[in-house]
Amino acid sequence: MHMNLLDMNTFFFRSTFPLILLTLFHNIMTSSSDLENPLAASYAPLPDGELPAGNNPTIRRPRKAALFLVVSAFLVLALVALIAGNGPVLRKELNTEVAPPSTTSTPEKVTPLSRGVEKGVSEKSFRPLLGADNSYPWSSNMLDWQRTAFHFQPKKNWMNDPNGPVFYKGWYHLFYQYHPDAPVWGKIVWGHAVSKDLINWRHLPIAMETDQWYDEQGVWTGSATILPDGQLVVLYTGSTNESVQVQNLAYPADPSDPLLIKWVKYPGNPVLVPPPGIDTKDFRDPTTAWKTPEGKWRITIGSKINKTGISLVYDTEDFKTFELLDGLLHAVPGTGMWECVDFYPVSKQNENGLDTSVDGPGVKHVVKASMDDDRNDYYAIGTYDAHKGKWTPDNPTLDVGIGLRYDYGIYYASKTFYDQSKQRRVLWSWIKETDTEASDINKGWASLMGVPRTIVLDKKTQSNIIQWPVEEINRLRTNMTVFKNIVVEAGSIVPLSIPAASQLDIVAEFEIDEKTVNRLNGDDVGYDCVKNGGAAERGALGPFGFSVLATEGLKEHTPVYFYVAKGVDGNLQTFFCADQARSSTANDVDKSIYGSIVPVLKGEKLSMRILVDHSIVESFAQEGRTCITSRVYPTKTINNNARLFLFNNATATKVTASINVWQMNSAHI
Amino acid sequence: MAMKMSSPLTIVFLVFILQQILFFSAMADEKFIKSICKSTPSYDLCLKTVLADPKSKDADLTGLALIVVDAVKVKGINTINYIKGLENSRPDLKTVLDYCTDVYNTSMTVDVPLAVTALSQGNPKFGEDGIADVTVESQACESTFGQYGQASPMTNVNQDMEDLANVARAMIRMLL
Repeated sequence: MHMNLLDMNTFFFRSTFPLILLTLFHNIMTSSSDLENPLAASYAPLPDGELPAGNNPTIRRPRKAALFLVVSAFLVLALVALIAGNGPVLRKELNTEVAPPSTTSTPEKVTPLSRGVEKGVSEKSFRPLLGADNSYPWSSNMLDWQRTAFHFQPKKNWMNDPNGPVFYKGWYHLFYQYHPDAPVWGKIVWGHAVSKDLINWRHLPIAMETDQWYDEQGVWTGSATILPDGQLVVLYTGSTNESVQVQNLAYPADPSDPLLIKWVKYPGNPVLVPPPGIDTKDFRDPTTAWKTPEGKWRITIGSKINKTGISLVYDTEDFKTFELLDGLLHAVPGTGMWECVDFYPVSKQNENGLDTSVDGPGVKHVVKASMDDDRNDYYAIGTYDAHKGKWTPDNPTLDVGIGLRYDYGIYYASKTFYDQSKQRRVLWSWIKETDTEASDINKGWASLMGVPRTIVLDKKTQSNIIQWPVEEINRLRTNMTVFKNIVVEAGSIVPLSIPAASQLDIVAEFEIDEKTVNRLNGDDVGYDCVKNGGAAERGALGPFGFSVLATEGLKEHTPVYFYVAKGVDGNLQTFFCADQARSSTANDVDKSIYGSIVPVLKGEKLSMRILVDHSIVESFAQEGRTCITSRVYPTKTINNNARLFLFNNATATKVTASINVWQMNSAHI
Repeated sequence: MAMKMSSPLTIVFLVFILQQILFFSAMADEKFIKSICKSTPSYDLCLKTVLADPKSKDADLTGLALIVVDAVKVKGINTINYIKGLENSRPDLKTVLDYCTDVYNTSMTVDVPLAVTALSQGNPKFGEDGIADVTVESQACESTFGQYGQASPMTNVNQDMEDLANVARAMIRMLL
């Protein structure tokens, strides 16, 4: 062990105190024998020649040994107290140890802090836009425009995770993490809204406040379960007055009220506290319950052990007492804390969704978790063993947290529910802001929910799910414009004259030129939406797609596009990306590029759908195999200035596009 | 046990044990701080900031992160005062300086309290977002001078803020 000068000073300084103590105790030890026999010290001669008491080892030794032990123990304790309570130590010369090149001290999944140019670029923001012209400050016009027309959001202040979504007595309920005091996260309560169609909403009073010791620091995320007799129960995480994460039970005060306005918290709360081995701050977001073969209810709660993300399993009969299963539902090393775990069945053959308790041969199970480390939602498809309470992924290389994401843009803390009225599984997700806090404060609100999506297993690939906006959103469509078989030559751009281009639904199919594809030599240069140059980087077979929220002259625009790459083996890979690099002339908004590869099967045309709704763009490729949600904050492309362009920036192929564009009416949100 | 004969030896033995215990414990918390700082982008800045606070001696990782967040706040307040000074000497930069004051104010009144709350609550990701925003705000301040065709008079100040915020952020990430 390397011991430098300062360290020596340190311990010599500190050790003088114990040395003094030690000497004192030693004195006490030796003098104690005098106390035991006051006469021994004087060594007065005894009449019968007995030895003085102090010299009798058989009697004194055990006592002295015991005393020695007691004093040593006391000494060690005093020592510990000393170390703990020692005053500030001078550390001026502490640069004697040279730091080796930076390495993480614990093995973990390394997420780089910065991408791209390292100086002056952080992960939250962004790729600096060169040649930006004057766009400051944010005017109230610009900020007002950012509010959406058909995405769920409270009137003001902060929202995050969706909670307890459920269909009950004819109403869709959405609860959500809500901070009523500011457009930034804080002491969270459950906001509440209801809808008949998942699109138009009626805002209701706060469902649950931080009024108990066990949720005093926050009424955090939770889920609803409908019991066979129609009863509704909610389990949610409370952050206690001492910031311990516990699970609590709540239920409607009046189950006959379809609006479920008032809620009761079970007097015996909390019903679950962090089990041994689990940190008090790693225990949150209980799922909807499902039935076990034994007829009990089962839930799962995400957590972590060191850097392994895990999913704890509990069984219960009454939602009041729980039994922790010995094993975990699943765990994946290196993924970190699993938040907002979700677990549900999907049908292998049918197009409908399944109640959470359904199991059987025609069923696969999805495990999903929100990864705290990288703020993305991941899922995997696998097989559930109900007797063991364990789930195994079909493809361990695409396990939870290391494989597929629900969405390759901004999409987190998502949660599904089974809509029994339409037999579908519906997905809600929190879409945060990617502008500055200052802007959020100025505009008075932060965060949206994504448009709810149905989830089914992709029957053609059997290895991913498909998400698609709920069909009710189509009721907002109006003023359809159709473009059939537009041919867009390589390197050209076509303005599509669509007014009110801030609220659009675009559905399109693309074909690239087969002859061009065949005559091209492939190459093995990889492509990555995130790392490559966005829509401005031209390849032989891409990029091509739409520029949404665009100005005339494309001073600001947001391309959503396909990029096809031909490999040396002749196979095509298709990438689907959304490029925010030029989405705004403002310099304090996120300008990342998002996207991923999208599976395209033989005979399939390339298809995409884009929902444009002011500061949010939701893009879907191949009927929902790959999805991207983006936040866009233009300064010029606002009000009536937004335009839509079709472009083909490939160098070699022409592209043929057939497009339906609808303007979207505003919903009541 | 021949106490008289061995008691000097016993003392020496005890002292030796004590010295070893002291030695190891003195090394332990320094080692901890150093290992944490090695995982941040600026080891020296991290160490200097953490050790300047006496609470660092007994702090766990959350405590260390809170120390750096507090240093971010102090630096932010100093920066706001620095900008006030600039406004007197450089009235030509008023528009941008006003903007910089606004964004630094946001960093102090919103981002830092958010980070403190999130860290104490065991939901550090919101704290990470808050501190990341401090970096964005200081970068925005810096680049806005250029947008107005002016040279920034506070490049070092903005850079210092960014560096410190990045250290805080790296520490908060270790809590995730």
